Amino acid sequence: MSNHLRAFAKKVLLPVFCLATLIYAFNVSAFSFGALSKGLPMMGDMLLEMTPPNFTFWRRYLSLMWETIVIGVWGTFLGTLISLPIGFLAATNTSPSKWIYAFFKSLVTLTRSIPELVYALILVAAVGIGNLPGIIAIMIHTVGLASKFFSEAIENVDRKPVEAVSSTGSLFIHVIRHSILPQLTTLFSGYTLFILDHNIRVTVAVGIVGAGGIGLELFRRMRQFQYDQVAAMIIIIFLVVLVIDRISAYVRQETIKGTFLSRQNRRWDWPILGGLFVLLGVSLPNVFGQLGGLLRGLPVIAEIILNMIPPDFSETPKYLGLMVETLGMAIAGTVLAVLASIVIGILAARNIMRFRLVTWAMSGVTTFLRAMPDILFALFFVVAVGLGPFAGVVALMLSSIGFLGKFYAEAIENIDPRVVEAIDATGAHPLQRIGHAVVPQVLPLFNNYNLYVLDRNVRASTVLGIVGAGGIGFELTISMRMYNWPQAIAIILLIFAVILAVDYLSTYLRKKIV
Amino acid sequence: MRPMIRFENIQKRFGNELVLKGVNLTINEGEFVAVIGASGGGKTTLIRTVNGFVVPSAGNVYVNEQRVDYANLGNLRQLRKNVGMIYQLFNLVERTSAMHNVLTGTLGSKDKALDIILSAIGYFSKSDRKKAMEILDFVGLKDKAGARVDMISGGQKQRVAIARALMQDPTVLLADEPIANLDPKTSQRILDLLHKVNQERNITVVTVIHHFHMVKDYFSRVIAMKDGQVAFDGDPLLLEKQEALESIYGGQFEEELAVAA
Repeated sequence: MSNHLRAFAKKVLLPVFCLATLIYAFNVSAFSFGALSKGLPMMGDMLLEMTPPNFTFWRRYLSLMWETIVIGVWGTFLGTLISLPIGFLAATNTSPSKWIYAFFKSLVTLTRSIPELVYALILVAAVGIGNLPGIIAIMIHTVGLASKFFSEAIENVDRKPVEAVSSTGSLFIHVIRHSILPQLTTLFSGYTLFILDHNIRVTVAVGIVGAGGIGLELFRRMRQFQYDQVAAMIIIIFLVVLVIDRISAYVRQETIKGTFLSRQNRRWDWPILGGLFVLLGVSLPNVFGQLGGLLRGLPVIAEIILNMIPPDFSETPKYLGLMVETLGMAIAGTVLAVLASIVIGILAARNIMRFRLVTWAMSGVTTFLRAMPDILFALFFVVAVGLGPFAGVVALMLSSIGFLGKFYAEAIENIDPRVVEAIDATGAHPLQRIGHAVVPQVLPLFNNYNLYVLDRNVRASTVLGIVGAGGIGFELTISMRMYNWPQAIAIILLIFAVILAVDYLSTYLRKKIV
Repeated sequence: MRPMIRFENIQKRFGNELVLKGVNLTINEGEFVAVIGASGGGKTTLIRTVNGFVVPSAGNVYVNEQRVDYANLGNLRQLRKNVGMIYQLFNLVERTSAMHNVLTGTLGSKDKALDIILSAIGYFSKSDRKKAMEILDFVGLKDKAGARVDMISGGQKQRVAIARALMQDPTVLLADEPIANLDPKTSQRILDLLHKVNQERNITVVTVIHHFHMVKDYFSRVIAMKDGQVAFDGDPLLLEKQEALESIYGGQFEEELAVAA
């Protein structure tokens, strides 16, 4: 009987539940094809005004882009430095005590579960508009990411060399130096590069809320409806992000192969490494110059934190309603992206799509969508389809297509051709081949990516409201603008709780899929 | 004796290399044949011309007296439905059940549009399921019908693959190194099963086997390929002499002898 009940739950209740959630999500996020089609002429106008891009101020934009890179590199650099000790303290096998482990582990989770734009908002409020809040926000964001990566890498080290060094009677610090570090340098540098790459995009996004760099200028020009200037900036951002992406991918590959700075690669590798140090050196006075600002800001930050206590939960029902809207945006954006990405993924997969022009164009589109921060799309669609969650849904959909389209295409390209042949050998029709040889191979991967993107979209959807694209973020900005810190912290805690819950849920579901 | 597979002057060129240099062979209905030879001798390429995964550069293949038309996709589907194939690495659809894998053997027999679509999305009729269960029973895996194929042993995987091929009701079964990834004991069981398939279902079985020592206990006809040509065709007992084997396996002979001993 319980078996029948379980089968009933699985076959009937689960799909009904999923469908209901979906309908509800589309409903609360105000998704409508009507609004979309009404927005289309507006989008057309915006695109027309964008052409041709106006590069009159290209020098200024390049220097702002340079600032963005400086913010990203410094934030990553400082964040990584802080993450190194934290990584060891938050790893079960190197942490000196259980309590220290638990403390740092929770600290890292906390840091990671608050969106970087929230840090940027608070810091802008504390030290004013400029590069410094950007650097600090990126730094904290980096600590959240890097410490987790580092501690996981440390927990996975091979224990044998550790035992060998320990058995010589070495001090604990020497054990780390001689048996753990050598195993980790490659992994750590790989992660750091990956984070740096990701942080350049994040820096553009935090700039939009006032934390310096080209994002700030982009936001200003957007609000003044100077779309030709905006277009010029977007092109510059895209090209620079692309170049950094390629360099970082190259260096990562070389580090993994262990050929970075090897004889045959030195010609390229020294300039890259040198360039990084020159960047850090040249911008050092600028960064140090702002330390004064930070010192002046410290009392303000302390005051803000003091003001946050106790959190004001009196408006919780309203926040919960907005949180539902936020989750609805994330779900609707993800589902739309999944549908669109299936088409794009197939068109971009080189083993299915024979026309190189099509695969090339599709991967161009996904690369562009990945390079742009989602909050930038949100800015656009707030203008095109109006304030509200619908703009957020479209923004989330576009940036998710950037990831899913690429991941799907790679999954399809990596299917095992032997299984496809075996199904062909039964005399299968091409449709049957897709159903029985392609889908079963890619579906678990697709679902894994979908959960990852849903997880990511929940984080993103909580802050898209900052630019008016629906959800709880709008309420957060308002409470901050009005210096109502007890309410702000209540909202932040709620965001934190939801992100943590979704994170656990998706980790659980991902384990189930394998 | 009716000819089931006939190779007529088959040549195959990969790039500049001539892998098959004019092969002429006839395999009769109900025969149980092994194709042996050193790596690179053209064994696998030869049998893959039978179901069209390799298109000959010259020459013709006849299956059941019909010339294989490699350009006609409809005919190729029909041909593949009648010619089952199993592989060295089993090539099962992982993460799905043994039952599902066996059911995919019916795909070739669906020719109405609706049936093609229904089977493509995983819907199979009751009679298909019943037949799949009978065949799983025949290969000795009735109790594993619901098991995921990435959770069962190599020998069991090959049984599932054989069941998938039998589901097609084939007249010919091609086996490409079916025991190369299995231990000796399991290998024997798989060859026993192939023999049973041949005897009880009157299916012509052609199997590529790299190692000679497994062959002589099971097969009465052995075809040896060397450098793209048939080097020997007959009773394996005639191959017992060292010189004969050496001429087939060439440089790889020492290794072959070591395994046999």
